[in-house]
Amino acid sequence: MADRRIKVIIAKPGLDGHDRGAKVVARALVEAGMEVVYLGLQQTPESIVRAAVEEDADVVGLSILSGAHMPHFRKVRELMVESGLGDRLLTGGGIIPTRDQEKLKELGIEKVFGPGDDLQEIVDYIRNNAGRLRAE
Amino acid sequence: MVSDVVRTKAPSSPAKKRGHFVQPELWTDFFRGERLACARLLTAVENSPESIPEILDKIIPRLKGAVRIGVTGPPGVGKSTVTAGLARRAVQAGHSVGVLAVDPTSPFSGGAFLGDRVRMQSLSDDHHVFIRSLASRDGHGGLSPSTPYAADLFDAFGLDRIFIETVGVGQAELDVLSCADLVILVLQPGTGDVIQALKAGILEAADLFLINKADLQGTEALLDSLRFLLDVSASQKRRSLPPVLEASALQDKGMDETAAEVERLIQRLVHSGRYREKRRSRLEREIRSAIEQDLWDKFSALAGADEAIRTVSEELLNSLGSPYPFIRETCSRIRVELTDERAGREEKE
Amino acid sequence: MKGPAVKKKNKASWEKNFEESGLRDADFSTISGRPTRPLYTWEDLANGDPQAELGYPGEYPYTRGVHPSMYRGKLWTMRQFAGMGTAIQTNQRYKFLLEKGQTGLSVAFDNPTLYGRDSDHPLSAGEVGKTGVAVDTLADMERLFDDIPLDRVSTSMTINAPAAWIFAMFLANAENRSIAFADLRGTLQNDILKEYIAQKEWIFPPEPHLRLITDLMAFCADQVPQWNTISVSGYHIREAGSTAAQELAFTLADGFAYVEHAIAAGMDIDDFAPRLSFFFNAHLDFFEEIAKMRAARRIWAREMKDKYKAKNPRSWLCRFHVQTAGCSLTAQQPELNIVRTALEAMAGVLGGCQSLHTNSMDEALALPSEKAVEIALRTQQVIAFESGAANVIDPLGGSYYIEQMTNDLEEEARRYFKKIDDLGGVVKAIEQGFFQREITRAAYEYQMALSRRKKFQVGVNEFINPGEKLEIPLLEIDESVEQDQLDFTGRVKAGRDNGAVRDGLGALKAAAASGRNLMPPLLECARRYTTLGEISEALTTVFGEYREQPFY
Repeated sequence: MADRRIKVIIAKPGLDGHDRGAKVVARALVEAGMEVVYLGLQQTPESIVRAAVEEDADVVGLSILSGAHMPHFRKVRELMVESGLGDRLLTGGGIIPTRDQEKLKELGIEKVFGPGDDLQEIVDYIRNNAGRLRAE
Repeated sequence: MVSDVVRTKAPSSPAKKRGHFVQPELWTDFFRGERLACARLLTAVENSPESIPEILDKIIPRLKGAVRIGVTGPPGVGKSTVTAGLARRAVQAGHSVGVLAVDPTSPFSGGAFLGDRVRMQSLSDDHHVFIRSLASRDGHGGLSPSTPYAADLFDAFGLDRIFIETVGVGQAELDVLSCADLVILVLQPGTGDVIQALKAGILEAADLFLINKADLQGTEALLDSLRFLLDVSASQKRRSLPPVLEASALQDKGMDETAAEVERLIQRLVHSGRYREKRRSRLEREIRSAIEQDLWDKFSALAGADEAIRTVSEELLNSLGSPYPFIRETCSRIRVELTDERAGREEKE
Repeated sequence: MKGPAVKKKNKASWEKNFEESGLRDADFSTISGRPTRPLYTWEDLANGDPQAELGYPGEYPYTRGVHPSMYRGKLWTMRQFAGMGTAIQTNQRYKFLLEKGQTGLSVAFDNPTLYGRDSDHPLSAGEVGKTGVAVDTLADMERLFDDIPLDRVSTSMTINAPAAWIFAMFLANAENRSIAFADLRGTLQNDILKEYIAQKEWIFPPEPHLRLITDLMAFCADQVPQWNTISVSGYHIREAGSTAAQELAFTLADGFAYVEHAIAAGMDIDDFAPRLSFFFNAHLDFFEEIAKMRAARRIWAREMKDKYKAKNPRSWLCRFHVQTAGCSLTAQQPELNIVRTALEAMAGVLGGCQSLHTNSMDEALALPSEKAVEIALRTQQVIAFESGAANVIDPLGGSYYIEQMTNDLEEEARRYFKKIDDLGGVVKAIEQGFFQREITRAAYEYQMALSRRKKFQVGVNEFINPGEKLEIPLLEIDESVEQDQLDFTGRVKAGRDNGAVRDGLGALKAAAASGRNLMPPLLECARRYTTLGEISEALTTVFGEYREQPFY
């Protein structure tokens, strides 16, 4: 049994309705002993960060397959920093070209996942990085 | 702090560790009304039970008399939708609202899928509402052990109506009673025989029965079963019948009446002194269980105590003996003394 | 003829040799997890009745095909789903595809449009033109089909929640170009039930959407008789992670639900059923997919004839479009997607589809580039003109495996029908999260099978090229598209008669509240260049908004 429960928010910002990946990742994280708040579809960056604050989330994971990842990630990152959550892990997955992955790194989003990435790799990344950025 | 590794089973004795688990700046932020500070303190009570005494020391003097409303019932009846409907109306009536939504921890993985929040989407933009999801952790699928403290935090934070939504499975329904001032049991038509299975405790102690999804078939039958059971128990206990209401929370029907009834019950609770009584009994329980825990901790800290118990149990399995000789012998060797206050430790052998 | 004793000895001999030869360490179930036997023989079909179960093509129960001549008479329509950026860019892509030999059009709309929102809606920011074409008004429809002969080429539009008012814009455009409604051929997806189940693009709760669907069906029966009013879809259900049997069962169940709804609204089944069509996925497990499509035709025919008592044989036909499985495409070694698509397309053809879309190799990463979509189209052409697959009708009919699989899938589908009935029908089952839970579980199990290396994706969890670099050029949607669209729509709104627009919306709301057919007032709104979002908002005031109760 995990002694420390990592709290993860999984959300889909914007209008993309393809939630198969988000749900599968959410379930894998639960099976790995984490506490997952699944926010589901049509979330705004504001509603996502608000939930992250109230839930004191260690991790925020966004799932975006619609090509609108840059504005959404940018806004969520901005709001997280503003709300005092700048030290939490922001990650996600979807259809994100390599070039954009570089741009995301510059914003502080170190890694995102894509089609074909192994579930276990995603779980491990989150587990290993969830508390890393947080100040003691 | 939050990321300390903790075992939630056996917190250390409150007398032993009086350190600082919470930074002073966090308290300043909390009392200034900063949400993240409240959220971090909630995490502290969840993950670091040894911080609880320090936290309670700080917040109990600042409790403002919030009302805790438990919403319980079998899975699938629409508790989240009902909670959201009531919460929204409480906000409209000028209250600040907190929602503690409890979901079960998986006994296999230790993880939890916290899916109540998403069912309360209509509240998510409301700044007068603070929603926090809690996993049941060790609470046997019911209320998480930190729920009462979480509610206290909300109270001190300034939220005056606190909804506690539980998983509603077995023991959970009874757990809610101790933490809530008022309990709403939500049912839906077609669950007639579920009532039979529900523990007698919850049926007797719920203050309000709400039949949700009342547009479905079977509402009349459910009302009949319910009234029959309540009648029987009421005449035995010489109580009046608690209110039974109908609603379709998803269509927002019947919710005004339900909210009004909840308010009526709250007023009665406060004026009759029952609110105060419940508080007192909670404090009593807190004192008892903390001392109990402390006594046990001291005992099990004795060299080899846990080991001895394990060994004896193994022997008893083989010999098919009763544990009571061992129990009697051990207890007879325990001596408890209350020394002068602040002299330090009590002694046990 | 060999006597029974000899037959038994032959079988025993094979069984023994099979046991002794040892097995590979592999999973032999289909991609849906359905176990398979190593061999199927005449014994499996011994108790069957081929006349009743298979029949002839174009004859009840249509197992072998909906038309008597199938591809000997006419090849399947090669219809590539396309849309990107503004209507101008998409119009160019349509011309490109028609020039390369595609025989039908298929419109992909962007996310805001799919939700019935304008490009300037706050929630549309960042999404305009990214996954399809942006359509705000009739003016976009005009640009979209500019110089394209709508009376000669059929058009499929993948749109659901606001299908009725997108269709109204399509009709208004045809009107302006003096093309008679009766000459228009095409399909609207218009399948709202699967939105609640899988794709999640709705506006209102189910009842108002169903009413819009029956209004559209009645209108078309009268005025646009060659139009397919619904494409009951399994594709998305499969993409969300369901098994083949679930795709089959849930799709047909949705179809029956529409039939029942239209009948309850007072329509005669033979007035609308001939214009219902279907849309299936062609996934990688070759034989399972072919069997699934054959089972679909047989089940639909049987139910429509025996249960719903349709008299017109055209009402018994399960005509369908097929798209190769998007979820089977990989981002790694994307050239392999050409192979996957080819296998899937072949399954669609051997399964007897009426039209086919083949995915492009780069679609796990972006919208298709010109080069990639050309290859995808050519794949169909190779199948049609080189492989011989179009020479013989239902060439796999009679295969022991295929016939057994067809029977098994029908059986499993019928078990699902019973479960859905027990729950009170499709809409009630949706409300209780039945479909969503089944699908999510199947999706998770497949993902775990990949993780545990029971199932494989070449290039992803096996035969990986570590450190591979992407070498194919990808299509990019420029950030300026959104501003361009906003500017254009702004000009349209400035140039129209806003008083007339307001009046039109008023009439629409009145019709919505009163229960009159909504197509005429929608058509009028379209003519006046009312925007998609203005119509959606007006109808929302009458019908309300839908919020999902999510299920996992």
